[in-house]
Amino acid sequence: MLNKNMAEAARKALSKPAPYGPDVDLSKYDVLNPRRIEPTEILEQERVRDASGRLGFTPEIVRKAGYVQVDEAYLASALVESLRKQGVFVMSTAEALRKLDIAREVAWTLIRPDTDKYVATAYLYGKEQGYFIYVPPGVKVRTPIYTCLLITRGMTAQLLHNIIYVADGAEANVVTGCSIAGLHAEALHIGVSEFFVGKGAKLTFAMIHAWSKGAVVRPRTAVRVAEGGRYVSYYMIYSAVHSLQSYPKVTLGRNASTSLYSIISGEGEGIYDVGSSATLAGPGSSAEIISRNLAKDKSRVVARAEIVGESGPSKGHIECMGLILSDTAYISTVPLLDSRNPEATLTHEAAIGKIGEDQLTYLMSKGFSEEEARALIIRGFLSVEAPDLPPQVKLSVDRVTELISSKGHG
Amino acid sequence: MGNEVLRVEDADIYVAGKRILRKVNLSVGAGELHIVMGPNASGKTTLLSAIAGVEPYEVRSGKVMLAGEDITNYPLHERVEKGLVLAYQNPPSFKGVKVSEILKWLRRKFDLDPSFTESLAEILDIHKLLGRDLFSGMSGGERKRLETYLTLSIMPKVALLDEPDSGVDLDSVGRILEAIKLALKHGVSVVLVTHSTHMLNLVRPLTNTVHLIFKGHLVFSGLYDEVVPLVIKRGFEGAAKALGRWS
Repeated sequence: MLNKNMAEAARKALSKPAPYGPDVDLSKYDVLNPRRIEPTEILEQERVRDASGRLGFTPEIVRKAGYVQVDEAYLASALVESLRKQGVFVMSTAEALRKLDIAREVAWTLIRPDTDKYVATAYLYGKEQGYFIYVPPGVKVRTPIYTCLLITRGMTAQLLHNIIYVADGAEANVVTGCSIAGLHAEALHIGVSEFFVGKGAKLTFAMIHAWSKGAVVRPRTAVRVAEGGRYVSYYMIYSAVHSLQSYPKVTLGRNASTSLYSIISGEGEGIYDVGSSATLAGPGSSAEIISRNLAKDKSRVVARAEIVGESGPSKGHIECMGLILSDTAYISTVPLLDSRNPEATLTHEAAIGKIGEDQLTYLMSKGFSEEEARALIIRGFLSVEAPDLPPQVKLSVDRVTELISSKGHG
Repeated sequence: MGNEVLRVEDADIYVAGKRILRKVNLSVGAGELHIVMGPNASGKTTLLSAIAGVEPYEVRSGKVMLAGEDITNYPLHERVEKGLVLAYQNPPSFKGVKVSEILKWLRRKFDLDPSFTESLAEILDIHKLLGRDLFSGMSGGERKRLETYLTLSIMPKVALLDEPDSGVDLDSVGRILEAIKLALKHGVSVVLVTHSTHMLNLVRPLTNTVHLIFKGHLVFSGLYDEVVPLVIKRGFEGAAKALGRWS
């Protein structure tokens, strides 16, 4: 049931463009009615295997995933019994909103439905597809919870609302893979994500995107981290897109911290307008935003990063690096430091360049072919030290890094 | 001389269209140590780089033969596969590329002899560098020891070492010398560029030939005692003149 006021505001926002990224005509996409499906129905589909395989997700991972969404169909939770016994929930957001007070309490509190036309569309027509993950106070779930959001049908609009709630003192590692079957498919993905990290809690969130040349992707993410909490995000995209625009916002309470990593590998004629924003709202909070941006072919990558120092003492650092792999590609970095407190220490560094000829020649002097040398340099460029990533998540990240570097010969 | 493994014949060597060295001839036998001497900017690095095939250095006339095969037009990495490897004087730094990753790749590509590489790693004290980014933030000694290791570990036919001892502490010089000895013992030929009297003293008993380069010419190739004492006494120009090849 939609909130009357919010729905009215959302309707008014249906033509409100986002401040960044190309504007998109949403009317040409089909919105399908959500339905629940059986595990076998998902795993037997070749197009599902294609889409999940492009994420580096093995059939085993898909089988174990906490939540799988294929187009409008979803499969919620193959969570192990022990987690259920500890009170961990993984279910569709629609179901959570029907059954759980906590879901109703927090839904749409971080992102307003009238934010822009994409959020408004998801709010009005998405029927609360997407996942809801709840980890109760003090429960530490170290095994990653996988979620798969896949599109297998052309001209489909996948409209999702995801909520993760990690209560006080709890811990969770969530890996979300978003993909599409077919390298040329046209589709729309809007994922509205609201994450809540409680006092002293920790959420590690890795998101891997593998889209297609025709994919229009508009994730909208907001995160609230309470006192002493920690949020780590690791975002990777390594496929063509039509356009992708995303600017997740993290708000940090007293002594809370965040590390936001993004690895963007642009190709084809895709537009990748990706950023991260952190607001140091509580004293003692800290944020680091680290991005590595590759652009080849005719891709255009805009890497935004913003840290707002509202309170102090607090600390923020932005590191934004770009590597251009072709003469027709484009990278722009837009770091923004906004200090409203003299005790907030904010820094940034940014650099864009190409692969150094001296590095290439050196590696070739040790027997590497030019292709091998390029791949190694790219892999080095992409390998960001992210000590918080759990080993299993790091494996997924490493697999994708390997894929990017092996095809990054520009 | 042992079986000839490297021969440079009448090579005119250019850098970016400009001739730097003319009519260079030299011949290196298997397992031999050759020293290349000359003042700064005389063309020593140019000579080694051109033999190795590093752009923009090029041999425009004449040829480079490796084990009887004309490799003048081979690209850099193919020369390495054939057994000719250059150790850089100043290798570039790499962020995110771990030393261990390079070694893993070298092991896979060149089927390295584990007992040789282990001894070499021990001598050059490489183990503590494995987790580091390649050459990033390393001291002079660490860089040179690592570069020497990466060059010698594949046990090439010919290793071209461009000033492996410059800017390093005495302990590292000693280690690099021991590494050269081990390589020679395994039949690797070494062409060594050095300026340091300390290194020259250490390699004297091992040296087969010293080549003196002066003002774009390889002016003399002969025994250690014919060249080095003269250079120490009279300087490069004096030695070049005394050896009758420069006026």
